[in-house]
This record gives sequence, structure tokens and C-alpha cells, in this order.
Amino acid sequence: MEYIYHIAVLFCLYGILTVSFNLLVGFTGMFALSHAALYAIGAYTTAILATDFGAPFPLDMIASVLVAAVISAVIALPALRVTGHYLVIVSLALQIIVLQVILNWKSLTRGSDGISGVPSYNVFGFAITSPDCFLIVALIALAACYWFTHRLVRSPFGRGLRAMRENESAAQAVGLNILYMKLSTFAISAALAAVAGSLFARYFRYVGVDSFTINETIYVLAMVILGGMGNLRGSLVGAAILVALPELLKFVPLPVDIADKIRLILYGLVLMLILLVRPQGLLPEPRGRKAMLVSIEDESGPSDAEKLLDGEGGRKGEVVLQGSNLRKQFSGVTAIKDFSIALKRGQITGLLGPNGAGKTTAFNLLTGFLKPTDGVITLNGRSIADRKPHELVAAGVARSFQDLRLFTNMTVIENVIVALPGQSGRRWPSLFLHPARIRAEERANAARAMEILRFVELENKAHETAADLSYAEEKLLVVARLLATGAEVLLFDEPMSGLDQTTLGDIFPVLRRLAEHGKVVCIIEHNLDVIKELCDEVYFLDEGRTMAVGTPDALMNDPELAERYFK
Amino acid sequence: MDLFLQLLVNGFINGSNYALLGIGFGLIFSTTGIVHFAYGSVYTFAAYVAWFLATSFGLALLPSMAGAIVAAIVLGVACYTLLYRPLELRRAPPLIPLIASLGLNIVLENLNAIIFGSGVRSANFTSGVYFAGPVFFTSVHIWQVVSCAVVVAALVLFLRKTRYGRAILAMTDDPNMARVVGIDTKKVSYIVFALGSAISAVAATLTLMKDGASTHMGFTAVFMGFVAVIVGGVGSLRGVIAGGLLLGIVESLGLWKISTEWQSSIAFIVLFIMIMLRPQGLFSIARR
Repeated sequence: MEYIYHIAVLFCLYGILTVSFNLLVGFTGMFALSHAALYAIGAYTTAILATDFGAPFPLDMIASVLVAAVISAVIALPALRVTGHYLVIVSLALQIIVLQVILNWKSLTRGSDGISGVPSYNVFGFAITSPDCFLIVALIALAACYWFTHRLVRSPFGRGLRAMRENESAAQAVGLNILYMKLSTFAISAALAAVAGSLFARYFRYVGVDSFTINETIYVLAMVILGGMGNLRGSLVGAAILVALPELLKFVPLPVDIADKIRLILYGLVLMLILLVRPQGLLPEPRGRKAMLVSIEDESGPSDAEKLLDGEGGRKGEVVLQGSNLRKQFSGVTAIKDFSIALKRGQITGLLGPNGAGKTTAFNLLTGFLKPTDGVITLNGRSIADRKPHELVAAGVARSFQDLRLFTNMTVIENVIVALPGQSGRRWPSLFLHPARIRAEERANAARAMEILRFVELENKAHETAADLSYAEEKLLVVARLLATGAEVLLFDEPMSGLDQTTLGDIFPVLRRLAEHGKVVCIIEHNLDVIKELCDEVYFLDEGRTMAVGTPDALMNDPELAERYFK
Repeated sequence: MDLFLQLLVNGFINGSNYALLGIGFGLIFSTTGIVHFAYGSVYTFAAYVAWFLATSFGLALLPSMAGAIVAAIVLGVACYTLLYRPLELRRAPPLIPLIASLGLNIVLENLNAIIFGSGVRSANFTSGVYFAGPVFFTSVHIWQVVSCAVVVAALVLFLRKTRYGRAILAMTDDPNMARVVGIDTKKVSYIVFALGSAISAVAATLTLMKDGASTHMGFTAVFMGFVAVIVGGVGSLRGVIAGGLLLGIVESLGLWKISTEWQSSIAFIVLFIMIMLRPQGLFSIARR
């Protein structure tokens, strides 16, 4: 019986580790494989404080959590500059460096001897030494960590994490603060791993570096992937299976060292097989209606576009966003040489020019994705130099991308909700401080997102995964997502390209109505018919310079431009 | 001054071994885009095979190395066939092969340990000690430097002069374009896995001769190879060689000022700093 309780305690420890690791790799898509090092930091902090300073619970655990969170955030700052393969390798290197430090800082950690004789928990003079008593503590900790993480991921904050995982630049373009989200996730994930570490120290009453090697991270990774990335319940299932499975080996008569190696082989095999056979894991990420945080009471109400678009004050024709004498130089190449533009309220401005003329670079400059080498950009008369893309979205400047960059593994309505402005649930502490307010906001936002979808006539696809849409529907969703940001200046990068006449007929009035309602609209476009039909003013760009500005007719009748481009 | 010279020479010798590892690992990485982490286990396997041939059959260094090369090629190609190729066919996202290869590495590492036992295994290849002024070195050291030079020369010839060599270069430049112009990328992938694994076996046999073979030798090896590639710049042969030598020298000279227990961390710290400051490598412009 004792043995069963022991296995259950192990399950709790790994459960906490998988849940916290899933937050990082599954929901956020950041494969930072230094989880075992943070687990170690948690364990060592508790062991040192409890053994050398007699720190009682919960001081030891709080200290573990804080130390791990701070170290993780410090590590994250440089590590976040890289992604993909490089993040994996850098984090593995960090894992090794941390263990080396622990091994070599002998005065604090006792080096390779490890710290033994860590006092067990003590409740009213009653020492919790047996696995059955400890199981209660471990279960409580697991439940708390699960609840906390569940709250995080099923929230506007968690939705932002998944959007960032799907496409980082698109997440910035809908106003999400990437740095804040990444740092928070790193710190929280580390803090939870430290809870497991703190329990480890108190349960085994010994900590040594051997328990926290890279292999440990890989077991936890195998559990997360087996259970399903982006599914918390899956993580518990994965942990349960992979904690229990090797125990079956105990019934096979094998020498101890061989059995230990077979256990490791088992983990490796599970990891490979699941990636080959069922990469989404046993319990895949929730999709469709299950992805919604609240249910929408009235999905089929009438469209109220007027309400959706009103609220833009200001005089028609006034200049809202202005770029003056912009220049952008990449190492060696000058993409924009001299570009000035003034986007006016209530107008649709076209940006025209051959491929490579610098149109998209111009958008990147106007929306903060690139910093101009020279020149000034002002919004309502105030300079917006050094403002990050998400800050500009909040200030009222948003853009779409030529290659769409939808959040493809999220539902259509999620793509829209994530872009809605003023969500206090994007900051994770509010999730716990003002849960009621966040729920109310979420209901209002879901309804509003539905309204936007009705406006672009995608309401019937609301709960489908964005990856399953047709091309025309994807384009409409791009418009819907951009509208959702509530920005007054909307920059569309080729919203019409590749669309048939019917769909064009659907999007034209949408853009016109936006302008009529006082929005500032700018589109990059190649199709002269579209330009003629829609635009009030056209900027013609070539080789990074403004070649001409004027009404579509004036430009197309310009003999020189006509000769060179409009033949 | 004598100590400095000795450390410099040691660093250069170790560095040529890192360069070999980097060349093999980098060939696979830059051509297929796969971070073949299990490269470390293939390397360990090759070292054990060489050990087995040398001790059980009394083979000399070169025949043992030849056997190790064959074994490494078989295992390396098997890795591609059984794991990476199926993942490619499923169009798995780019990180998935890396994660899977971590799993593969654990499996192979422990299989190695079960088959060959844990603990250090060493082979008694004949070895001499030489002096050049105050600097001393052994025949293993000469082997390491010479074999690095031979491998590099052979590889350059292969890449420049043969059809498949040029196909590898094309695929390194742009895999999609290579496919468009009709290069059989599957066959090229098999070739680089075979070549890369063969090169790892050369390094493995020499490490066996110098320090013996052990279960965990592969992990450091694959990291050193990766660091050499990153320092040199992905896809640059000249860069990888420079990266490997530089790493060896930095690590060796580090001994001068830094106590020995930190020596094994130097490479990881170099890696960390490099990826942070210059992820495109030191020599990324001077390609190849």
C-alpha cells in the first residue's frame, strides 16, 4: 500500500511539472527545455532554507517560487531574442550551466554530495514522513497548480498566448504585448515547477543534481506531448501513464541498472511514437465551441453595423496619420528612400507601385514593425517614434498582412475576440483579482465579435477552425480581425488580391462604409480597377520613392506614369 | 609562456576534433534542416564499435575506424529512414524532428549502455609521445589534426566535383529551389546522413584512442558540434572549421584563468553568448 501511495505522490509531482511545462511549450509554443533546472532551483532553495535556516512551511515554498520565477525571468530576457531551434539549444545549454553552478557552488549546495536530512513537513508537531500523509499535501498542491494554470489558459491571457504561438507578428498586430506575455509565462511556469521542486525536497528529504538532469526535462516533455499539447487534462493523463508504465517493469525480473535504462528507453520510444502516430496527443487542444470561454446567448441576432462602426469623432479630411521624408535602410539596401504620406479621415488612400517598390516596408514603418532610419511619423500631430506595434494598435493604428497570418489553429470567432481592444483579462493578475469583471467583459466581447462576423457574413463559420476556411473567407476574416481592433487608422495589405468578382463585390462596400463612418483607410493594391473604384487619393511608389500623388484619374492620365507602368 | 604554448596547441588539437564533429553535424543540419540530436548517440555507438573491433579482434586503428564508419553509416541512415523521413512526409512542423530526436537520443544512448555496458572502455592502440621544443603531443593528437585535414579535403573535393556534392550545396542554399530544379532531395538527405555519420565515426575512434569510450560522451560531442556550427555560421564549411578550432582554443586557454571544474561549462557559455549576439555566426558572409 505504501508503494501505491509513493507512486501517487510521484504522479502529483510530475502532474505539477507537466501542467506548468504545457503552459510553456503547449499553449505558448516556446520550447525552452530548461524545466528541470527550474525544478532543481525550487528543490535546492527549499532544501537549503529548511535544512540550514530551519525555515518553516510555507516560507520555504514561497522562497522557492520567487527565486525560480526571478531566475527564469532573468534567463528569459536574453533567451527570448531567439526562437525555434535556437531557443531549444540555448535552453539546453542553460540547463547544463545551471546544473554546473549547483554542482560547483559547494559552500551553498554541497556539490555532488547533495543536501541530505532535509526536515519533513511538520503540522502541529506531527511530522509528515509517510507517503500516505504526504500524498494529501501533494494532492492539494497539484490541485492548486492545476486550478491556477487552468484559470490562466482559459482566459483572454491564455487566448493571447495561443495567438502568439500561431503567429507572433500577427499577435502584435492585434495589440498583444509579446514581451509581457512571454516573460509572464516563463516566470509562472518556473514558479509552478518550483512548487514541485519544493515538495520534492520535503518528500525525499534529499536533493542532488542527479534528479534534475536534461533527461528529467525530456520525461516531462514526453508526458506533455503524450497527453496533448495545449490540453491541461491531457497533461495529467500523460503524467499518470508515464509514471505508472515503468512501474510495470518492476514485475519483470531484470537487473536494477538494466531496468533503469529500459525505463529511459520507454520514455524515448513513447516520445517518438506519439510524434509519428498522433502528434496532437491523446487529448487534443479544445476546438470549436469548446474553445469558447463563455457561451453566446444570441448567435443569430440581426446585424447592427451602425453601432459597430460609430464613435469616430473628428472632421472629415483632417490628416490623422502622417509620415514625412521617411527613409529605411537595411544593411546595404535602402528599401525606402524618400516617402511622405498623409492619411486623412473619411478617405480611402491607395498605395500603388510595382513589386519591390517598398509598399509593405512603408506599412511596416507606419505601424511600428520597423523603425525608420530617418523621418518623422505623427499620429494626430504627435510623434509616434519608438512606439511598439501593440502600443500603436492601442493608439489607433492597425494593419493586416499580405500573407494573412491568421491564427490558423484557433476558431474564427477566437481570431476576432483576441483582437478586441480594452480586455483587462490580457493582464493575468486581473484574472484572479477581478474574475467577475473579466467574465462580464468576455460576454460582451463574444457578442461583439459575433456582430463583427455578421458584418462580414462569416457568422455561420464562427466556431470553425480558421485553417478550414476557403481563401475568400480567410480574406474576410482578415478584415474582421482588423476591424475588431477598433483602430481608427486601418492599413490593409492587398485585401483584394486573389479574390473573384463576387467576393470583391462583398468587400468594396465594407471598405467604403468604414471610410464613411470616419475611419482612415489605406490599402496596398495592384488592381487599377479596384483603385479607380475605391480610392480617393493614390500614392504611386517606385524604388522607395513617392513618384506621384493624386486622384486615381489624375494619376492614370499622367503621360509619364502611363508610359512606364499603365500600358 | 611554455604553458601558454602548450595550452594553445592542446586547444588547436581538441578544436580539430570539434571541427570534425561540427562538419558532420552541420552537413546534416544545413542540408536537411534537421537538428539531429541523436548524432551524439551515433557517435558513441561508433566509438564502442571501434573499441569492440580493436579489443576482440585485435584490429589496428585504421581497420577499427573503418568498421566504426560502416556501423555509424548504418545507424545514421536508419535514424533518417525510421524517424525523420516519416516526419518529413507528414509535414511535421520544423521543431518536431528536433523534439523527436531528443527521444531517439535517449533510446540509443541507453541501448548503447545496455549493449556495451556503462563505464569507460579504452582500446590500446599504439601511441607515441613527441616533443616540439617545450610543447609535447602524442600520436593521437597528430591523428586528430591529420584526419580533420583529410576529411575536409575529401569533403571539399566531393562537394565541388561530384554531381551529388553540388546537389548538397544547392539544397543547403535553398531546399525548395533544389526540388524545383529536379534534385532528388530524398536521396541527397540519405547521402548527408551517411556522410555526416561517417565523419562522426572518425572523430569517435580518435576520442576512443585518446580518452576511451563512455555512455555519455555523445551528449557533449553533439553540443560541441552544434557550437562549432553556430560560431562558424550554418552552411559554411570554412566557418565550422574556424568555429571548432576557436572553441577548442578558448576552452583550453580558459584553463589558464578558470578552475578546471568550470571547463566543461565554457562551451555552453560560448554557445549562449554566440546565439545571443550573433546567431548568424562569425563567418556567415563568407559562405563555404
